[in-house]
Amino acid sequence: MNTRFETLGNIILAAPQGRLDFGAAAGFQSELEHALAGAANAPSGLIVDCAGLDYVSSAGLRVFLVVSRAAKRAGTLLALCSLKPAVKDVFDVSGFSELIAVHADRAAALARMKA
Amino acid sequence: MRALADLLVGGDGPAARAFENLILALIAVSILSVVLEATTSLPGWAAQLLRISEIVVVAVFSLEYLLRLIVAPRKAAFVFSFYGLVDLLSIAPFFLAGLDARSLRVLRVLRVLRVLKLQRRVLETTVTERTRELAERNRALIDARRQLESELEVARALQIAILPAAFPTRPGCDGAARMIPATTMGGDFYDFIELPDRRIGLVMADVSGKGVPAAFFMAVARTNLRELAMHHAYPSDCLSCANEILCTQNPMDLFVTVFYGVFDPATGELRYANGGHNPPCVRRAEGSIELLDGKGGLVLGAMPAVRYPTHAVTLRQGDRLVLYTDGITEAFNAADEAYGMPRLIAEIQAHGNGAAAGLVERICHSVAGFAGAAPQSDDITLTVLAWHAPP
Repeated sequence: MNTRFETLGNIILAAPQGRLDFGAAAGFQSELEHALAGAANAPSGLIVDCAGLDYVSSAGLRVFLVVSRAAKRAGTLLALCSLKPAVKDVFDVSGFSELIAVHADRAAALARMKA
Repeated sequence: MRALADLLVGGDGPAARAFENLILALIAVSILSVVLEATTSLPGWAAQLLRISEIVVVAVFSLEYLLRLIVAPRKAAFVFSFYGLVDLLSIAPFFLAGLDARSLRVLRVLRVLRVLKLQRRVLETTVTERTRELAERNRALIDARRQLESELEVARALQIAILPAAFPTRPGCDGAARMIPATTMGGDFYDFIELPDRRIGLVMADVSGKGVPAAFFMAVARTNLRELAMHHAYPSDCLSCANEILCTQNPMDLFVTVFYGVFDPATGELRYANGGHNPPCVRRAEGSIELLDGKGGLVLGAMPAVRYPTHAVTLRQGDRLVLYTDGITEAFNAADEAYGMPRLIAEIQAHGNGAAAGLVERICHSVAGFAGAAPQSDDITLTVLAWHAPP
């Protein structure tokens, strides 16, 4: 799995591609943590665009749990968007979609963050 | 002489090391004396000392040359080898012209080339050192792998020891379960808990992560659920209490998805609550399928103060209840397709009429057939309860 990062003003966009399983979890976690802590000032928002994410295992869910805590500490809003149906199922069943804001697409996530 | 040669230049023992060090020291002395003779005018006693040292040096070098010639398997090859020639050149002038052969004195400068021996010695020592380091690192790696393997064994043993041996015997129902651990060792577990009033607590759970941390978290989760189940009649209370405890005993940020149901074999009623687990299926006697997808709550251990609503469903005579983990629905084949819910439902519909153990076997067989040679990345866990109503 690899992840493309973009910056939109004070908001960081992360777009992971592929399967977020046990093997990919540690790398993805450190990339997101770096994105949160890398700049001098914490970003106001971190949007994970899941359009290219095919699969999330429980180890992958754990990354979102750990990163959501780190984001809260840093004062950064965390949101997900564009989840494929299979991935959305995993977030819904596990209850994670109530822990982390999930939006239909990037525009909706950005609109909510700027509001 | 042969024995001496083997001892001093043939082998790698302490005597050979000491002799080599002596030679290196004499190389330094001889070079120094060449330099001193060429650059300064010396007082008589010093010139005398130099002459004596010259004799000693040449004597020892000659001995060394002779010994090397003796141990060399092919004499000519040694004589004409680079180091053989250098050694010869460093002593030859002395024998050709004696101590005062000024015309040949310049040749003695060639002795400097013997310094190359020093370099070779350093190289050899470095290579020996690196080889030893590599061997040590290899050993450390092998030890680390053994350690890891034995830890995985512990985790696996713990995971299996946690599972109940048999389904509680109750008139009117039978149950069966199976857990097939993944090669990398996941964190699934199931449990049957004998509750007051002859009810049965049914647990199906999946800990995030793998290996030893998952096994420990699983043990903590299982023990707490068992304990709490005895004291809470409502599954919702049991799960929210377990969640509070797990949130405080969770240094690794792990979590566990838990389906917990309380089944009353006397009436067929199942009360359940769900902490982030895949919804179980009920197969009605006539073959229809219902998902127990009443609203659940967040996985346990992630965040305190979560509420888990209790739902209820009543099994009728001949119904089956199937609990499973995502190791089944997310078993992948070589083409990276998931087994998925539709295949599981089809299997339950087709083979749900017999005993609980039979359906467990059919489903495991179907998943294995679908996955083929693809490696099993997650534990596969399944419980089937068959209710025939008490006589």
